[in-house]
Amino acid sequence: MIELNNVCFTYANGSTGALNHVSMKIADGECVLLCGRSGCGKTTITRLINGLIPHYYEGELEGKVSVNGIDTMEVELYETARCVGSVFQNPRSQFFCVDTTSEIAFGCENAGLPEPEILERIHNSAEEIHITDLLGRSIFELSGGEKQKLACASVSAQKPEVFVLDEPTSNLDTDSIEELKKTLLLWKSQGKTIIIAEHRLYWLKEICDRVIYLENGEVTFDMPMQEFKLLSTERISELGLRMLTPELLKSQTNDAQSSDELVLQNFSFFYDKFSALDIPSLALPRGGVIAVIGHNGAGKSTFSRCLCGLEKRFRGNVFMNNKKYNRRGMLRKCYMVMQDVNHQLFCESVQDEVTLGMNEDNADKIDKTLSGLDLNAFTERHPMSLSGGQKQRVAVASAILADKEILIFDEPTSGLDFGNMEQTADLISSLQGEKTVFIVTHDPELIVRCCTHILHLEGGKVAENYPLNSENTVKLTDFFVKRECECG
Amino acid sequence: MNNRILQADVRNRGLVLDPRTKLLLLITMAVFVLGGAASSYFPFIVPCLCAVPLVLLILSKKFRSAALYAVVYSAVYAINILLADRLSGILYFLVLGTTGILTRFMPSVMMGIYVVSTTTVSEFTAAMQRMHVTEKIIIPLSVMFRLFPTIADEFSSINAAMRMRGISFGGKNWTKMLEYRLIPLMTCSVQIGSELSAAALTRGLGGEVKRTNVCNIGFHLQDIIAMLLCALPYVGLILGWFGVKLI
Amino acid sequence: MFKTNNKLKGKDLINVGIYSAISAVIIMVVAMLGYIPIFIPLLSVLGPLILGIPFMLFLTKVKKFGMILIMSIIMGLLMLLTGMGYYSLVVGVITGLIAEFIYRSGNYSSASKAVLTHGVYCIWIWGNFLPLFFDIEGYFATRQDYGQEYIDSLTALMPTWMCPVLLVACFVFGILGGLIGKAAVKKHFIKAGIV
Repeated sequence: MIELNNVCFTYANGSTGALNHVSMKIADGECVLLCGRSGCGKTTITRLINGLIPHYYEGELEGKVSVNGIDTMEVELYETARCVGSVFQNPRSQFFCVDTTSEIAFGCENAGLPEPEILERIHNSAEEIHITDLLGRSIFELSGGEKQKLACASVSAQKPEVFVLDEPTSNLDTDSIEELKKTLLLWKSQGKTIIIAEHRLYWLKEICDRVIYLENGEVTFDMPMQEFKLLSTERISELGLRMLTPELLKSQTNDAQSSDELVLQNFSFFYDKFSALDIPSLALPRGGVIAVIGHNGAGKSTFSRCLCGLEKRFRGNVFMNNKKYNRRGMLRKCYMVMQDVNHQLFCESVQDEVTLGMNEDNADKIDKTLSGLDLNAFTERHPMSLSGGQKQRVAVASAILADKEILIFDEPTSGLDFGNMEQTADLISSLQGEKTVFIVTHDPELIVRCCTHILHLEGGKVAENYPLNSENTVKLTDFFVKRECECG
Repeated sequence: MNNRILQADVRNRGLVLDPRTKLLLLITMAVFVLGGAASSYFPFIVPCLCAVPLVLLILSKKFRSAALYAVVYSAVYAINILLADRLSGILYFLVLGTTGILTRFMPSVMMGIYVVSTTTVSEFTAAMQRMHVTEKIIIPLSVMFRLFPTIADEFSSINAAMRMRGISFGGKNWTKMLEYRLIPLMTCSVQIGSELSAAALTRGLGGEVKRTNVCNIGFHLQDIIAMLLCALPYVGLILGWFGVKLI
Repeated sequence: MFKTNNKLKGKDLINVGIYSAISAVIIMVVAMLGYIPIFIPLLSVLGPLILGIPFMLFLTKVKKFGMILIMSIIMGLLMLLTGMGYYSLVVGVITGLIAEFIYRSGNYSSASKAVLTHGVYCIWIWGNFLPLFFDIEGYFATRQDYGQEYIDSLTALMPTWMCPVLLVACFVFGILGGLIGKAAVKKHFIKAGIV
């Protein structure tokens, strides 16, 4: 049993997510969903349960937290780790080892279990989670979904009583989420206690028994899943939560007006004889907002990189405005806002950052762009000290001031709550018409809010290419909800 | 090379030596080829040792590296010999110096390439644990090797971002280029590192218990042969000190 | 409420690993220059200058004895594994220890001691050059037939006085690198909220 008793916590470094007199009891075998807006404190609760607070994240802590009789504050992290297993958001930074088998063994090795037992546990764990074919491989070769399964297997091998998951699906596509769902159902059948902090709720409808909603560090409501499912879509949006019923997606954008076109030619690319991209010819509307969707491995990132001119061996061309652009030309015309915006922030103030690479100094233009993006208050701040959404806007400002015509957003809303997702959608909508925008994404809610067209890639080829209007929304929901219907 | 450090492909490795044997080989190369310890007594030791990495690379199916070694080393050696009396002045010093240094360091570096491309991180940590090296060294070392490919990835993302902004080519400010590369690299690496830390700690790292290791390493016939061969130069050195001269 | 002991914990060890990784990547990129003799002195210039930035950031996280020493040892081990010999390891153990005492004497919070620490720490780079000064005559014994002039010219390239010069260079540029690093930490990392 897990018990939080009147817990108050503030982070030493001033991060959001503080808690204010939170109390809750979680019985053995229960599966609880913690949800709420960004910064509400759900991640903080997961950290209290697995011991990262107070042993890793410092701050002021009051109250008592006990897990299966252990007081997590008194006891060292590694002792709490024996009964609490944690799965995190980012597959890229969860792994300590470089090969899969060692990774599964890692937790057991830390506990000092004898080798033969560890080997047995590796075998069993891999079988349960269906990753036996992934054993003995390099972690760097795995896909995002495979990595999360590996993370689950390695936590499973330690046989904890409690599993804590912090936004585990942020970077996953629909297929991988299904696989994760199976793993959770397995753990549930084993009688384990599961606590999940999540934004994307729809996949948890059949898994969680109880939903706890947090706001500003306090518990607003705590209801059984049955009741939660009955809440209306409007109520869910009001709460700042993502959709529970993706089948009900409705397109909300205007049709794109422009008849001007962008023609992509000879978009082919090979990796060591493997054809990653094979698009002989493709016409897209200029000024439109185009969602690029497809399963993992469909070639979406190769497509973005080739479009931007980042792949040196790429030989395709783009025709725009009766001019032909080759790779170098595209490099000048395109700008990609990366998933990790930190890779593109170079200077020590927002002012310097957005003017970097500008050809002429036009104070008016700079001012206008910054105020249009709500960044006027931050001109002297260091870009890295801003929030995620603000950093995104800085990147967009740089692109606008550098006269880039084509913008590509790479998963701009993974891990964002409803409010922030809407903000991003508004940001992107404002660019419609002036710039041509591509969005590589798994987020259907974002797509219906700001996209005018859909480009569906599979296996490096164009599977579908259609404008997003009321008739075509069905095709979109089919892609995202397909599996749901199959499992019933 | 960053991506391949201690990430050997276990499925196609040819002859496998225990990591401890490899360590002994590295040290032997360092003492006798880099340091030239016994070369005044037994001049043939150096050429023999130079051949060892070549043999090992071939035995572990690293044919490209072996070929690279053979070709470059012979070319450099040949240039050294042939041009010894043909050039003069600064060019003379430069060519002679470069070839001299290359011939001196290359065998050892190729041995390094052999070790680094045929050993996995888990084998290496297992070997260190058997040698009773403290966890205080093993853990940071494993983290370092594990982060190499990740940091290389970050680096290339940053480079891509710089190219898109049109600021990757020098011309203007050398130090700025460095700043633009290093600062985001460090911010991202530190962030990844801290996520890694949290994840590892929740898996029990840092406990009082002695860590076990499932990796399978051990000495086989090839290790014994390799170690005996390594012993020879040391024996030669000691004999040399006592004034015994063979050949 | 919590005992702050001076034992190195998992978190500290991982930090050492992270910064070692960053430094190692930098050093290996710079080391590619090392095969051309003109650039060898440059290694003792560029290395310490650039390594200053990650190292000074690292020092903001060092509050216990042993982290700097372990980092030196790890860099030395990396050099051994990549075929550069055990010399940097040996030098690194000594300089790492000295660096530890220097930083500790400033109570882990003195900025000037931090810069000095970096200067001393960087001396491990000098260790890599040591083999070039050893036993040159013996090494080239097989090529005796090419004349004394040949051997003389090779010795001239790396004259014995270069050895201590390189040592001093590592230290001096280490100090400069530390100053650069300190500026970078102030300019970027403190403002960005990482420190």
